[in-house]
Amino acid sequence: MDEKALLDHQFVVAAYAVTWAVQLGYVAWLAFKWRAQKRAAARMGREAR
Amino acid sequence: MKKAAIGLYIIFTIALMVWGYYQAIYVAPTDAMQGELFRIIFYHVPSASVAFVFFAISLAGSICYLAFRRNRAGWAQISDAWALAGAEVGVVFCTVVLLTGPLWGRRAWGIWWTWDARLTTTLVLWLIYVSYLLLRRFAAGPQVQTLAAVLGIFGALDVPIVYMSNRWWRTQHPAPVFGGGEGSGMDPSMLPAFFWNMGAWFAWGILILVLRYHVERQHQQFAAQEAQDALEA
Repeated sequence: MDEKALLDHQFVVAAYAVTWAVQLGYVAWLAFKWRAQKRAAARMGREAR
Repeated sequence: MKKAAIGLYIIFTIALMVWGYYQAIYVAPTDAMQGELFRIIFYHVPSASVAFVFFAISLAGSICYLAFRRNRAGWAQISDAWALAGAEVGVVFCTVVLLTGPLWGRRAWGIWWTWDARLTTTLVLWLIYVSYLLLRRFAAGPQVQTLAAVLGIFGALDVPIVYMSNRWWRTQHPAPVFGGGEGSGMDPSMLPAFFWNMGAWFAWGILILVLRYHVERQHQQFAAQEAQDALEA
């Protein structure tokens, strides 16, 4: 692989990595929020009883 | 049954993402002009398309919320949850566009950013929807949903401007690949990779959109229950 192709490849890898970092970061945040909400709802249900 | 359907959809989406990646990296030919760098298109353009569609969902949700808020409270809450989910997941995809674009631009044009019409209108779109999310996060009171719906409607007006920007004005950003008139288009050998990735990103987007909607509905029910308990106390 020549130098130009190698540099192009590195930019492609960076773009794909950034995409997955954003997407998976968001999904992780969403899952965390969902779990916290479920716990809060369960706690409220126990207090009501 | 419902859990099995969700599980199957998740497996389908992951398989599509892996297949799309394989097509983008190993099957699509190297571009004659841009070489390997062109492969960024398989993530950049589908992300922009998904963002536009989700902002349109947010627009529809905002309009429905304003229409139903006085006489159909249940429908209004469902509409509001779709409006929020569309805006938030749209921002995620728009963020990807704003990060992958400069990476492509740095290598192709030698600059990370330029204030041309396409880039600037996309940044403005992102800023409008980030302000929408900040409004929902930090403002309090009974009018927050209404204010957010109005902002969501005005924010969506920027979507057609972004889409048309490189047709209306001369931009550093390349002319449209599809629907750009004479001379536009993609080599047929690249089309399968493009459409597989388009399908994969839409499948992924729908998955997280529905998850976000579900989380918001749960939040609404939780908030309603809290309000009810406070009234009874």
